[in-house]
Amino acid sequence: MASFSQLVDNVVVTTFELDQPEIHVGRRGDNDIRIDEISVSGHHALIEAVPNAYLEGTVDYYITDQNSTNGTFVNELRIDRRQRLNSNDLVRIGWNEFRFIDEEENALEKTAYILD
Amino acid sequence: MNPHVAGITDVGALRKANQDAIDWRVSEDNRQVLLVVADGMGGYHGGEVASRIAVDTVMEVLVPWLSPDEGVPEEPDDAIQFAINLASERIADQRAADADLAKMGTTLVMAWVIDGEAHIAHLGDSRCYLVQGRELACQTRDDTVVQNMLDDGSIRPDDVPHVPFRNVLTRALGASSAIASFRRVRMAAGDSLLLCSDGLTGALPEDQWLSLISVCETADEKVRALVDASLDNEAADNVSVVLLILN
Repeated sequence: MASFSQLVDNVVVTTFELDQPEIHVGRRGDNDIRIDEISVSGHHALIEAVPNAYLEGTVDYYITDQNSTNGTFVNELRIDRRQRLNSNDLVRIGWNEFRFIDEEENALEKTAYILD
Repeated sequence: MNPHVAGITDVGALRKANQDAIDWRVSEDNRQVLLVVADGMGGYHGGEVASRIAVDTVMEVLVPWLSPDEGVPEEPDDAIQFAINLASERIADQRAADADLAKMGTTLVMAWVIDGEAHIAHLGDSRCYLVQGRELACQTRDDTVVQNMLDDGSIRPDDVPHVPFRNVLTRALGASSAIASFRRVRMAAGDSLLLCSDGLTGALPEDQWLSLISVCETADEKVRALVDASLDNEAADNVSVVLLILN
């Protein structure tokens, strides 16, 4: 399971579990992660949890900016298309910072192996 | 044509053991060249054993064809696949016989150049490049999960170093199937063929290769320049390079 933790001055204030195939992030009330702050657009970004087609049991998380006014940033780079998230990525929604954590990622083997 | 070959395999800057293996052979009449690079993996010294079996078996099966008395085979790809199948069987036997080697496997990239026509075969993420003048072109497609994701647009090249499962191969010797991918390339005088393990591609960006080798005269110097530059970059993996220059 992966999570999305909002940071204020580098301290976690709220953690959202990414437990659905699609998680909508924005200012309006119909979002899964609602951020009531002026730099955030009504429907700002979409986080998708997608099973990896080539590696059974692995889920990839992707974030897409939904034409927001102030942008979505991953590690301070503004994204202009669907972007895969890696554990510990710093995501900025307008001026709001989040840390993406994927616990499963740490359990993966670090040395080369063959899928068979 | 006059072939010049050089190769180096180096443990790299961080690893304790070298699990890569390389070999090459030029026929007495200079009409044929055989080049092989394998990058082993899996458990305590299993990788070393697997890559050694792969390289030695390929040489054992194919070197006899390099004798001028033998005549060239009608279908070199079939002879190559036969050698790979035999190597795969030998690896499977050792995996079954020794628990310490039960997870071993290896990549393999090889080129058999016959009268200027290169027959390239590979499994895994060891690569073959053709160097023509100021152009470097990869002739192999990595058998990796990451390559599949690049091809379907899930990720971009910039993402590759960060993907946690970038080390997962979809094909290699040691898996149940050892069917290689094949490609034929016509080489002209002055062209080079470069085979390498992912220690080179991981430590040294491709766009630096040509400038490094173009200032060197001999195949030996070119290979040394690439390996040294990888080590200067603290190569995290074993680094192997085999280079053929056709003059």
